[in-house]
Amino acid sequence: MNTELRSNTTPISPPSPSIFNTPQSSLSGALKGCLGSLDGACIEKLLLHCASALESNDVTLAQQVMWVLNNVASSVGDPNQRLTSWFLRALISRVSSVCPTAMNLHGSPTLQRTPVRSMSVTELAGYVDLIPWHRFGFCASNSAILKAIQGYPKVHILDFSITHCMQWPTLIDALAKRPEAPPSLRITVPSCRPPVPPLLNVSSEQVGLRLANFAKSRDVPFEFHVIDSSSSSTSSDVLAAESSSFHLESLLGQLNPSMLDLRDDEALVINCQNLLRYLPDEPGESNQNPSFRNAFLEIIKGLNPCVVTVVDEDADMDASSLTSRMIACFNYLWILFDALETFLPKDSWQRMEYEADVGHKIENIIGFEGLQRIERLESGVRLAQRMKNSNFQSIPFCEETVREVKFLLDEHASGWGMKREEDMLVLTWKGHNSVFATAWAPSGFDD
Amino acid sequence: MPVELENSSPVTVSTASGEASVTSSGNQTAIQAATQKKKRNLPGMPDPDAEVIALSPKTLMTTNRFVCEICKKGFQRDQNLQLHRRGHNLPWKLRQRSSKEVRKRVYVCPEASCVHHHPSRALGDLTGIKKHFSRKHGEKKWKCDKCSKKYAVQSDWKAHSKTCGTREYRCDCGTLFSRRDSFITHRAFCDALAEESARAQTVPNSNSEEDPKLQIVATSSPPPPASSSTIISAVLPIQTPELPENPTGFRSGVNGNSSNSVFASLFASATAAGNLQPQSAAFSDLICAMACSERQTHIAPEPTSLCLSSTNGSSLFAAAQDRRQYASASQPGMSATALLQKAAQMGATATNASLLRGLGIALSGGSSGQDESLQWNHHVEVEGGSGPGLRELMMGSSSLFGPKPTTLDFLGLGMNGGGAPVGGFSALIKSMGGGLDGGPEIKPNSSLL
Repeated sequence: MNTELRSNTTPISPPSPSIFNTPQSSLSGALKGCLGSLDGACIEKLLLHCASALESNDVTLAQQVMWVLNNVASSVGDPNQRLTSWFLRALISRVSSVCPTAMNLHGSPTLQRTPVRSMSVTELAGYVDLIPWHRFGFCASNSAILKAIQGYPKVHILDFSITHCMQWPTLIDALAKRPEAPPSLRITVPSCRPPVPPLLNVSSEQVGLRLANFAKSRDVPFEFHVIDSSSSSTSSDVLAAESSSFHLESLLGQLNPSMLDLRDDEALVINCQNLLRYLPDEPGESNQNPSFRNAFLEIIKGLNPCVVTVVDEDADMDASSLTSRMIACFNYLWILFDALETFLPKDSWQRMEYEADVGHKIENIIGFEGLQRIERLESGVRLAQRMKNSNFQSIPFCEETVREVKFLLDEHASGWGMKREEDMLVLTWKGHNSVFATAWAPSGFDD
Repeated sequence: MPVELENSSPVTVSTASGEASVTSSGNQTAIQAATQKKKRNLPGMPDPDAEVIALSPKTLMTTNRFVCEICKKGFQRDQNLQLHRRGHNLPWKLRQRSSKEVRKRVYVCPEASCVHHHPSRALGDLTGIKKHFSRKHGEKKWKCDKCSKKYAVQSDWKAHSKTCGTREYRCDCGTLFSRRDSFITHRAFCDALAEESARAQTVPNSNSEEDPKLQIVATSSPPPPASSSTIISAVLPIQTPELPENPTGFRSGVNGNSSNSVFASLFASATAAGNLQPQSAAFSDLICAMACSERQTHIAPEPTSLCLSSTNGSSLFAAAQDRRQYASASQPGMSATALLQKAAQMGATATNASLLRGLGIALSGGSSGQDESLQWNHHVEVEGGSGPGLRELMMGSSSLFGPKPTTLDFLGLGMNGGGAPVGGFSALIKSMGGGLDGGPEIKPNSSLL
C-alpha cells in the first residue's frame, strides 16, 4: 500500500514537494494497518491523527483525515458510521469556530450549532426509558434515598439534574407504598440548567404541577419549588449566551439555607445526576480559591444533607489534550451507539434523536475549548476521590438496592449488566462501564 | 485474523492494548505518551493486560467446548471438565492451568465485520461472546408463540416468553407499557392524569382537605419560566430557520474580511460577496443537513445554491441535487486502501480535489465528480483576494495559490512555487494555536486568499 502511494505522488510537479512524503502529513501513516474495510479501530486511528494534527497545526493532515472520515460517516449507517458522522461535525465545528464567525448573531460565539429540539413531558418520559442509561441511576439513587430517609416524617429533595424531574415519579410511588404513612415530600430545583439536551418544551413549574398532581393521586403530601433566580435575571439572559459560567455563579449564590427555605425537621436529600460535569473544575484565581465544582461540594456539605446521591457517566472526558479527549470520547460513546443499534432499527427517529443528543455532547467536547467547553466529565473513580477529599464518606448500596437494579436490568435487552466497584454501582453494557451511581454523606454525620 | 481452533486451547491473538498504533513519526512520541498515560483509564476499554482470545465460530457454537483429552467426553464448563479429569488419576498435573496466575481473558468475535471483532471491543466472558455470536450472527431458531418474535439464544427466548403479554400496564391515554417504572413515570406526566385531577377539582367537597397537601410554590416572583427558558434559547440556535439568516448577517462582511467569510465560505465558493448569499445559505443548509438529515425535512432545499463556483452552474453539490440527503450518500463500502489510493490519485492527477470535492463525492454517493471539480476549479481562479484559508480547505482549489491548477496537493492546499504551504488555512489553524503573527495573510501570489 505504501509503495503504491509513493508512485502515485511522483507526478506532482516539481515545485511542490510531495505531501505524502512529509512525515507530518502522512495519510498513509494514518491508515496504515487498516486493512480492508474501515472498522472502529481504523476510525479511532484516524480520529487520533486528526486530533494530533489539529493540535500541532498540521493542516494538511487534518484535511486529509477529515476527507477520509467523511467517506466513512453516515448518520444512518452502522454505529461506527453514525458515530463518525457526529465526530466529523464536531471537527468541522472546531476548525471553523477558530474564526469568530457571524453565526454569532449576538456578538458572542454560539455554544452549539446543532439545532436541538425540545420534547414534551411525555416524550421525555419515553426518552429516559428507551435504554436503562438514566433509569439505572434513578433506580439506584431512589433506593439509596429511601433507605436514608427512613423514619423522617418530612423530606426535602434538592434536585440537580438534566432530566427535568423524570426521576421522581417512581420515588413518589415508592413512598406511597410504604407501610407507614408516606412522609411529606418537597422537591426544589434550581432555576437554571446547563444548555444541553434533553430539552423540555415546558417550564420547571409545569413539571412541578404534574408531579404535584401525581403525588396527590397517590396521597403523598407534596410541594414543589423553583429556586428564585437572582435579581439580575434580565442581565442573565444576555450574559448567559456569552458565558455558561455566569449562571453557575448565581447557582452557587442560591444555595443558602434561607433561599432554599430549609426547615429543621426535614431530611435533606441532594441529588446530583449528570450535573457535576458541568461545573468547571479550573482552580480559582488564587490557589486558595477552590474550583466551582469543589466550591459546590463544600456548599452542599454545609447544608448538612442526610444523603447526597451522585450519578454520572463513567468516563474521563476532561483532558486538556484534544487527542486524549477524542480517543476517550470515541471509546466510550460507542457504547451508547451500540446499545441503540441492538434494539432499534436504523431509521428509528427515537434512536436518531438520542444519537443527535450524543452528537451534541461530542460537538462540545471536541469542538470547543475554554469556557465554552462545558462538558467536563470525570469518571466514577475520580469523582469518588473528589468526594472523599471534600470530606464526604460513601454509603454503600444495600442488597435490596442491588436486587432492584438487577431486576430493572433484566427487563431490558440483555447486554445490560451491573457491577460493584467499591461502593459504586456501575451500569455495564456488554461488560463496559457506562454509568456509575454513588451515595454519600458528610463525614461525621449522625443519623 | 480469526484463528480456527479445533481444540479448546486458546490462542492469544494479541494483547488488548489501549493505544492506537501511531505511525506518523512527527507526532509519535507525543501521542504515545498521551495514550500511554491514559491507557488504564480509557473508558469503554477492557483491561489492557487482558489476554485476548479469538475462538472460531464452530467453537463458539458448540455446547461442549471442553473436551477431555483422555476419554473425549465433552463438557459445557471448564470446571466440570477439571472435575472429571481428576477421576482419571493422572500421575502428574497435566496442563495445570490453575497454577499460573489468573489472567483476565477477553473474547473477540470471529466475524470480521462485527464491532466486537477488534480487541478493544472485546467482551469479558465466554458466555457473553457465545451469546453475542449466536444472537448477532446466528440463526434465530427460537420463536415466541405469543408474539412470534424470534431469538437465536434459548435463554433470551425463555426470558421473553416469561414476560410476553403477562404484565401490561395501561395508561388512561391508551399507551401500553411492559415495565412498571416506565408506566409510573409516564403516568405522572401524562395529560390523562392532569385531566383527571382537573375533573376531580371541580367537585366541591373532596378538595378542601386536600388543598393543604397540595402546594406548588414557586418562590421566585419574577417569571422564572421566562428566564429559564430564555436562557436556553439564547444559547442554542434551536430554530433551524434562523440559520439561513446568519449567513446573511455576515455576508456583507465577506469582502476582504477574512474572519467573517470563513464560515460562510466553508462550503461556498470563494467568489466575491455578491454570490455568497445563496452559498452561505447553502452552507448552513449543509450543516443543517449534516446535523439532522433524517429529522428535518428541509435538507438542502436549494441544492442549486450549493454552488461552489459562482458563475458556473455545475457545482460540487450539484451532484447532490439528485440525492438530497447528505448523510445518506456516504460510501461505506470503500476500503481504507481504496480511499488512500483515491486520495493519492487526486493529488497526482492534479484535478485539485478538495476536501469539499471529496465531500461532494461522498454526497453524490459515488459519482466521481471530477469533471465538475475541474470546471469548478477553473472558476475559482477568478477570485479576488478575500477570506482566509478555511475556504480553501473546503474549496480546495489549487489555483487559489497560483496560476496553474496543476501544482497542488489533492486537498488543494497549494504548495506555492516556494514550496511552502501557502496558508490561509494553515494560518488559520496557527492562529488557533495562537502562534501566528496576527492572522491570515494575504499573499500576493495567491489570488484567492
